[in-house]
Amino acid sequence: MAGQSDPHLSLFSAEEVEFMAEDEMVEIVPNMRMDPLNLLCGDYGPFFPQMVTQVPVWLAIALKKRGKCTIRPPEWMSVESLTRILESERESQDSFQVLPFHYVEISRLLIDHARDDIPDIYMVRSLVEDIRDVRFHKIETSLESFEDARSSAVRIKNLSAMEVNIVRPFVGRALQAFYKHGSPDLVPNPDKVPNRWQPAADPVQKRPLRKR
Amino acid sequence: MANFYDFDDIIAEDEVHTNSPFPLVSVVFQKEANGVGIDPSSETDCVKPGSKVELPFWLASELHLRQVGTMKVPACFNQRTKLELGADATCVDLRSRSPYFYEFGCKIAPLVGDRDLGSFLLSAFKNRYQEVLAKAHNAAFSTASKCSTLLTREETSMYEAAQSSMAAFKKWRVGGPKFQRASILGRKRKPAD
Repeated sequence: MAGQSDPHLSLFSAEEVEFMAEDEMVEIVPNMRMDPLNLLCGDYGPFFPQMVTQVPVWLAIALKKRGKCTIRPPEWMSVESLTRILESERESQDSFQVLPFHYVEISRLLIDHARDDIPDIYMVRSLVEDIRDVRFHKIETSLESFEDARSSAVRIKNLSAMEVNIVRPFVGRALQAFYKHGSPDLVPNPDKVPNRWQPAADPVQKRPLRKR
Repeated sequence: MANFYDFDDIIAEDEVHTNSPFPLVSVVFQKEANGVGIDPSSETDCVKPGSKVELPFWLASELHLRQVGTMKVPACFNQRTKLELGADATCVDLRSRSPYFYEFGCKIAPLVGDRDLGSFLLSAFKNRYQEVLAKAHNAAFSTASKCSTLLTREETSMYEAAQSSMAAFKKWRVGGPKFQRASILGRKRKPAD
C-alpha cells in the first residue's frame, strides 16, 4: 500500500496521520442543493446553497475539488488567533498551547486544497510553520529532561498528532535503552549515579603546596 | 535483555569480526583444559592453568560460568575510557572502541567484578543521549556523517530513526497535489463566430 509505514520504524507514516486527520469536522458553504448523505461514518447534509453545514475534511475537499462548495477555515486558522498562539507559545517555555490535535495536517490540507477560501493564506501558512518550529524546539528541550535514572518518563501536554508521530521512533528507542541501562541488576543504587561520571578516587595524591 | 533472535545481540557476543582494537576478552584459565586448540601460543592442544587466552565473549562467559577461567575487564572499559567519558562524553569515539559498547558492557558487567560498570554505562549513555537528541532531528546530511562516525550501534539506530522520521515528515509537507489544472480547462469557450 502506498504510504504505508515501515512497521519497525514507526507506527504511522505522515500520510496515515493525514488520513486520520481527514475525519475532523469542518464548516462548508455549499452552492448546490443535495439530499443528505447517509454514510457508515455518519449522516451529512442536507445541503442547500449558502447554508453552512458541518462535514468531515475529506468530504469538504471532495466537494471543493468539484467546485460545489467553499470551505470556511476553522476559527484557529485566522491570522489573529495564530499570532496570539505564536506569541504565547514563545512566552511560555515549558507549556504548550491548546491547538487542535491535527492542526498540522488540517492546515496543510486546507492550504493545499482551498487556497482561495483562506484569507491571508501566505501569512497563515508561515504562522503555522513558525508555531510548529517553536513547538518542536520545545519538545526537544523537554525530551532532554527524561534522562533521569529509573523514572524514565516525561510529561508533555497538548502535543499534536504529527508532533508525536515525528518523535515516536526516537523516543521509543531512547526509552528502551534507558530501561535497559537502568535495570536494577546493572545499576544497584541509582541515587549514586552522578550526572557526570567521575572516577571514584583520584589515585594520584596531590602534592602539598610548598610553604613559603 | 538477551533476545535469542536479536542479530545485534549475537554479534555483540562475537566481537571477533569487528575491526575494533579490543575485540576479545582475556581469560585466565584456572583449570587445565585438555584437547582444545584455543590457545594459539601453546604447542600442544592443552591449556595450562594460569595461562591467559584471548577468547570471544560467548566462549569466555561459558568458561567463566563453569569456573574454568576468570574474565578480565576488557580494555574498552578501562580507566582511560572512563576518564575520557567523564571529561566530555560526546566527543569520545566509542565506535572504534567497540561498535556494541553498551550491549557488550551490559553483558560483561555481571560477570566481571566491577560494580561501577553498570552505572558508568548509564551515565555515559545519558550524556551522549543529549548530544544525539540535539542533533538527531535537525542536522543536515553533511554534518550527519561526521558525528555519526562516533556513535555506537545503539546510538546510531536512535539517530537514524529520528533522521528518517523527520525526512519523511518534510517530504510529506512539501508534497501534495502536484498536478495543475490545464490552462485550457479554465478558459471559457469562445462563442463560435
